[in-house]
Amino acid sequence: MSDSTQPLLKVRDLTVTFGSHRRKLSAVAGISFDIYEGETLGLVGESGCGKSTTGKALMRIVEPSSGTIELEGIELTTKKGKDLRNFRTRMQMIFQDPISSLNPRRRVKDIVAEPLDCWKTVEGAEREALVNDLLSKVGIDPVAYGDRYARQFSGGQCQRISIARSLAMRPKLLICDEMVSALDVSVQAQILNLLEDLKAEYGLTLLFIAHDLAVVKNVSDRVAVMYLGKICEIGPSDTLYESPEHPYTKFLLGAALEADPDSPIHGDVLSGEPPSPMNPPSGCRFRTRCPNATDKCANEEPQLVEIATGHQVACHYPLSTLARK
Amino acid sequence: MSTERKLLVVKDLATTFHTPSGPLAAVGGVSFDLNQNETLGIVGESGSGKTVLSRTIMGLQPRNNVEVSGSVLLNGFEVVGASEKEKRSIWGLEVAMIFQDPMTSLNPVMRIGKQIDEILRVRLGMDRQAAKAKAIDLLDLVGISSPAERYNVFPGELSGGMRQRVVIATALAGSPKLLMADEPTTGLDVTIQAQILNLLEELKERMQMSVVLVTHDLGVVATRTSRIIVMYAGRIVEMGSTREVFARHRMPYTRALLEGSPKVSNPSHTRLLAIPGRPPNMLNLPKGCSFAPRCSFATDRCREERPELEAASEPGHTFACWNPLPVKERASA
Ligand SMILES: Nc1ncnc2c1ncn2[C@@H]1O[C@H](COP(=O)(O)OP(=O)(O)OP(=O)(O)O)[C@@H](O)[C@H]1O
Ligand SMILES: Nc1ncnc2c1ncn2[C@@H]1O[C@H](COP(=O)(O)OP(=O)(O)OP(=O)(O)O)[C@@H](O)[C@H]1O
Ligand code: SF4
Ligand code: SF4
Ligand SMILES: [Mg+2]
Ligand SMILES: [Mg+2]
Repeated sequence: MSDSTQPLLKVRDLTVTFGSHRRKLSAVAGISFDIYEGETLGLVGESGCGKSTTGKALMRIVEPSSGTIELEGIELTTKKGKDLRNFRTRMQMIFQDPISSLNPRRRVKDIVAEPLDCWKTVEGAEREALVNDLLSKVGIDPVAYGDRYARQFSGGQCQRISIARSLAMRPKLLICDEMVSALDVSVQAQILNLLEDLKAEYGLTLLFIAHDLAVVKNVSDRVAVMYLGKICEIGPSDTLYESPEHPYTKFLLGAALEADPDSPIHGDVLSGEPPSPMNPPSGCRFRTRCPNATDKCANEEPQLVEIATGHQVACHYPLSTLARK
Repeated sequence: MSTERKLLVVKDLATTFHTPSGPLAAVGGVSFDLNQNETLGIVGESGSGKTVLSRTIMGLQPRNNVEVSGSVLLNGFEVVGASEKEKRSIWGLEVAMIFQDPMTSLNPVMRIGKQIDEILRVRLGMDRQAAKAKAIDLLDLVGISSPAERYNVFPGELSGGMRQRVVIATALAGSPKLLMADEPTTGLDVTIQAQILNLLEELKERMQMSVVLVTHDLGVVATRTSRIIVMYAGRIVEMGSTREVFARHRMPYTRALLEGSPKVSNPSHTRLLAIPGRPPNMLNLPKGCSFAPRCSFATDRCREERPELEAASEPGHTFACWNPLPVKERASA
């Protein structure tokens, strides 16, 4: 649960720009958020809005163009070389494609031990015991399967192996990027339950990136919504899902279909498609598709402001204020 | 029983591939029918045979190493055993298909308008001018703005959602009576998915079509179909009105599928109903019920003998299980 003291991770004005000159693209265009120890922050938004880039920038897999990232009070963006690698063990990332993120020609035990071998933290029997323990924790029998090659495993099993590997260095923060998106429903449920168990056991804090709004709701304490490189709303998941304040959040949630024949079908459907991030609209980035847009929206960029405790929205006309009129 | 004329009657359909590792029964013992103007959903996990079933209904199979048996009666036309030439007379006109991967169903080096033209000219025998005018109408119908200008663009210049609209336009060019839509919104963003599903529903009404909607997305079937088929390992394991199957499913796999999927209305940290294991290897199916290795209700009988579909209390609702879940109380309305 969020704890009112120092956040574990503090991100301020993070931007990531790809390309140069006229083909410049701000995939992440100045976002700020905190993640508190022990919580799960969900990050949702449609394809291309910058979710993965955000995760990769935190890991420094892509270089941020500006902004700051503080983990446990220590600023990471200026760290280099060994110092940076040291900090990387505090954060781990799990990717969408479970099969291609594992080396098919390595044995499962060696894959899980990759970070241990890289850091030479443990060796010999101790290493073996730790790897076996990790594999058992994710539900893979180390004796029967530890010596097999990754290519012999299904998507769900590969995702279990990725989880085991990510836990080897006992990270504080786990970044999960679409980690169940490629899995079948029956396997997805196993992995989501496993993740919740391990989170409790290892005291993990999670950034859970996904486009599936139901999955995100099930795992997150708080949720941030992105649109075209910006955060438009962030708040406790129940509040955000029940009474969204940003028009985009409302459309996004309205488009999610509940697996229940009695649930209402799509209400208002958002028309059009997101504009190109190469050439984002002035002012509010959502204004070209927003039914409530005014001139102010074209001229002034709305900033993320707190509208209720822990609930922030970047809109000149939050929905609850419109309703009151 | 309904006296409505059936548009599609499928009986005991089986599709087996002869692979180097032995026979693979991708679809087996499938029987169902479809009314005019009905939307039927087919759900199941990856590899359960949804695409093979749809393609078999269309009469689209690889030339070699495949065996199809049973019957597919489409508006009076027997698809199984028909020659390529005979099938060409129904493709596009009686039945059309939207394929799972939108990129493969459009020719990347051909302008989108020309691709629709071609169908109109070849299938409907229209002349160049009429075909072009109709193609522009169709682009307009599927919600492509400035259709006359967009007529000349290549598929690669369009977003995924726009491409899917073009795919729908090509499928509808010959005003088919049945549209087989295989995962028509998979890979699209939810707001675009909503647009496409609304479009399909609107076109279905307008053109008086029947639609078979194949998907692994339970939200889509729950809200967009009137009847559903649940598949597991190439067979129908439960079938009935969507409402009935969601509310009163009897087969344990159906329950795992429906209750194991996260819901938007769930509170945070909801424990999901998870079943162990994963779908079986289709080359090596268990002898009795294919779900037995993962089923907590399995008995010896399940491992020996395959359960056939039997009737539940609501007409049209059937399930295949030796130890079905108890009948849920009907909520008193
Ligand atoms: N290495 C790169 N070079 C150039 N552009 C990139 C690169 N990586 C991402 N982008 C662009 O940055 C934007 C954000 O991409 P990102 O992958 O972060 O989106 P996302 O929200 O993760 O989308 P998805 O849901 O499809 O995974 C997109 O417009 C994408 O095309
Ligand atoms: N041409 C083929 N030759 C051999 N086996 C095939 C062929 N096409 C499909 N299969 C097999 O038939 C089974 C059913 O495949 P199918 O594509 O119908 O599944 P699906 O339910 O559509 O799955 P998905 O949700 O992944 O699309 C799978 O085991 C698949 O590997
Ligand atoms: S700032 Fe204006 S355009 Fe942007 S979401 Fe709010 S009302 Fe719509
Ligand atoms: S027949 Fe047996 S194994 Fe199959 S679903 Fe029913 S109880 Fe389970
Ligand atoms: Mg991504
Ligand atoms: Mg398929």
